[in-house]
Amino acid sequence: MNILLVFAHPNPASFSGALRDLVLSCAEKTSCELRQHDLYDTEFSAALSANEWTLHRSAPDTKPHLAEFYADLQWCDTLVFVYPTWWSGQPAIAKAWLDRVLAKDVAWTFPEGASRIHGNLKNVKRIAAITTHGSSKWVNVLEGEAGKRTLSRGLRVLCSWRCRFTWLAMYGVDNSTRYERNKFTQQVERRLMRMFHH
Amino acid sequence: MNVVVVFAHPSADSFGQAICSTAVSALESSGHNVSLMALYQSHFTAAMSREEWLAYHGDQPAIDPTVQSHGELVRKADALIFIYPTWWSGLPSIMKGWLERVLVSGVAFHFNKKDKVRPSLKQVRHLVGISTYGSPHTYITLMNDNGRRIIMRALRVCTGWRTKRTWLGMYNMGNSTSEQRDEFLQRVHKTLRELS
Repeated sequence: MNILLVFAHPNPASFSGALRDLVLSCAEKTSCELRQHDLYDTEFSAALSANEWTLHRSAPDTKPHLAEFYADLQWCDTLVFVYPTWWSGQPAIAKAWLDRVLAKDVAWTFPEGASRIHGNLKNVKRIAAITTHGSSKWVNVLEGEAGKRTLSRGLRVLCSWRCRFTWLAMYGVDNSTRYERNKFTQQVERRLMRMFHH
Repeated sequence: MNVVVVFAHPSADSFGQAICSTAVSALESSGHNVSLMALYQSHFTAAMSREEWLAYHGDQPAIDPTVQSHGELVRKADALIFIYPTWWSGLPSIMKGWLERVLVSGVAFHFNKKDKVRPSLKQVRHLVGISTYGSPHTYITLMNDNGRRIIMRALRVCTGWRTKRTWLGMYNMGNSTSEQRDEFLQRVHKTLRELS
């Protein structure tokens, strides 16, 4: 199994950081190949640039500075996101990963005469998101779970038609106890071990 | 009225820029006091820093001077207007970053005694979103319009339930004609001129 891990948190010592370490250790235990995009650590640019916007419909080789990101995305069969949910969505730097890395002829194509884009990530068979929410499940449902749907719909339509989506979310983390966080961690570990074994 | 316009588009000769210029001139022609926050043009930092994250739950979460000045303008705003292109069914990252860094506790909301989020922007009477989309409306609905949900629903936690919400969407941009785009600009102009 080839895992691409996208991690976005400004503080590696946070609970999200611990969840990222868990993904790394589960991948190691199951001898899966793993590549990581640690966005804050590598100072990934958090906004699509004017130049990148102009080259939006151009071939990927016009954007050589993103070549490694493209290669990893086409190499993986499992995409794992670890981030805190802010304003009901991915942190800006993680949204920027979507805006910048999901490029034409990498993640999608636009065939002649088509009315909309066609997915090009047939290699991706599974998307998993591990995230924490400050507010409760109830508030997030009312707000529309924008982050969840960005991945489960917006990204998934680009992937294999049988791509599965796994949502591992802890709600109300701001008022949680250590016991609750441990319980969530164990649950995530069980799910990841099962997922990575296949 | 004090109106804050938050605008995100990297290109100066884009249709997004045309929308923004139309919006600002319509608001100024009605005598409103407009504060334009052009995030790309002012090189706004998109990602919340480690220092900001550490200060987030403290008494003074806004530590950057630009973020503080934006926060002060938002506190006095009677209308908030967001103009952006929808990318991957959501906000451009720079605008998402603006929400994360500027709308912090003490500006947009506060915590009550039970640690629940309570609105601090009840003076905001209008919430307006204007966006362009590459895909047709039906496809957007199927994917879920996540940017719109954040602006129209999540932000309401801060403005309260009396705030009037308006959404203007220009769909299927790639196949649009110049007449359709002109018509949309007229709609933007009319809607914002009548804002009161």
